[in-house]
Amino acid sequence: MMSLLKPFSKLPGLNTANILLVENEEQFQQSLADVLVEETSVTVTVRLAKSLPLPMENDESRPRIDLVVFIMNLTSELSFQSAEASLKYLDPGYFLGKVCFMVTNARNASVPTERLDAVRKLAASLHCPLLFAEDQTPDGVTSATERLLTVLKVAAGLVPTTTALYLSNLTRCTLPPDIDQPSFD
Amino acid sequence: MDDSARRLLQRIMRRIPAQMLKPTLDKWGRLTAAQRQSMDFTESKWALTEKLLAICEENEMTVKHITELEMIHVIENPDHCMWYALQLMDPEEDVHSVELTQFKEQFKSHLRELIRHVSIKIKKHTDEAVWIRIAWGDSFSRPNHLKPTYVVHHLQTPYVFVTSLTSKLKPLLSQALVLSTRYQAIKDASLSGRKLTAIRDLLMRQYQQVFPTKYPSPLAENDQNASNILINKEQAELAASRHQKAREAFGDGMLPQLQSAVYKLETKFRDHTNKTMTEREEAFRCVVKFASTNLLESLRHCASSGIASTPGTSLLSSIPLKGRNYFVITDNSPGPSSQTRQPSN
Repeated sequence: MMSLLKPFSKLPGLNTANILLVENEEQFQQSLADVLVEETSVTVTVRLAKSLPLPMENDESRPRIDLVVFIMNLTSELSFQSAEASLKYLDPGYFLGKVCFMVTNARNASVPTERLDAVRKLAASLHCPLLFAEDQTPDGVTSATERLLTVLKVAAGLVPTTTALYLSNLTRCTLPPDIDQPSFD
Repeated sequence: MDDSARRLLQRIMRRIPAQMLKPTLDKWGRLTAAQRQSMDFTESKWALTEKLLAICEENEMTVKHITELEMIHVIENPDHCMWYALQLMDPEEDVHSVELTQFKEQFKSHLRELIRHVSIKIKKHTDEAVWIRIAWGDSFSRPNHLKPTYVVHHLQTPYVFVTSLTSKLKPLLSQALVLSTRYQAIKDASLSGRKLTAIRDLLMRQYQQVFPTKYPSPLAENDQNASNILINKEQAELAASRHQKAREAFGDGMLPQLQSAVYKLETKFRDHTNKTMTEREEAFRCVVKFASTNLLESLRHCASSGIASTPGTSLLSSIPLKGRNYFVITDNSPGPSSQTRQPSN
């Protein structure tokens, strides 16, 4: 398909890492972006999108995307569905350690357990890490950014001893064996 | 000072918030300097009410004076009663020559012809609005000052806003309004709400309108991203077009603080999976009410954030377009454009 985002079809930049944040609600991604670009050891550029596919007009000017992060607000079904629908616009090559899921509001009482389970299953089936973040405070934003930077640097090939695929073996989401058992409510 | 005047004063004092007491009384201007000094505004409201009652007795005030105080308070704080909008129809030829004195005289004389015992007070506010306070009596009793009707009319516009009015008295008020403003009829504008300023601004379109243009001037970019070339919005054009469409439908900047909208559905039930209900001949009656601290702002945000797809349903954008918040939707109408709202008199 013409609109697939491909991981290796462009040359990398020197000491540069490029991250794509996909979020239906377009909120948390802005706060993360502001902190991500403050990183000094490498040049981090951030692309923000609401969903995939990305507009074709930007294909030429867009740098090589090293890491794609899908941000989901667990209190919104629309947020989950939008992220899920965007997945098919990524070349399968991204799923070898260059995709990451980040969810917010996991502790919110209004989140139905089925939704969190569905997100877990999705992340596990795609062998991707599932990160939980707190988006309301500066500390929450900073710690989420630090975790993303760790994965991003590896995915951009800037960490000498490891690769994205290797790291994903360690970080990928796994399902607890009793995930399909009814929970105590 | 008679009993009804006393009760009215007590009620007004209960309604005025403590911090507004001094300014309102000063504006009323019926207390002497000495009397004003004697009021200690740090006391409890009950104590102040007693003090004020005594002063009014001293000044031999009548209910007429007390109603002035009430009117001052209501004009400053109109957002505590329900307001209903009315629209005057079919202007006569000389409608544009109606000015304040003429309107006042005509209104008073017409209303007095229709109902014997009625107390009318008319005041022109600084913002070109004419405020009318009406206390209704009937052939046997004097005007009841505890249940007044307030009417606000902007001269040179066909719009009138009224508070509580029984269906018996509505025709009388309507008649007086129609005759004194040189129109031929008056109808319900299907717009009501607690905040007078909100419904007035909505009806008279006193907010920033955005008209569809082929080449809109560039929207002010998100400042953070404009200055930081490291952050790049992929779908900025799409976002900008959504924002533009939302602003075209609902307006720009601060929107009138409308707080509810009601849709009365009289359409047939339609759902393939439910045969029993779909087979019924009669319409499925149902009322949908939207409520919010700022309904128009919420709807605009739904459209600009993409939660609701643009162009939005015309049912919702009819609210600012037609300046109404009560709609009756029947099967015969192709859309809200041919709504009929039975005039209730």
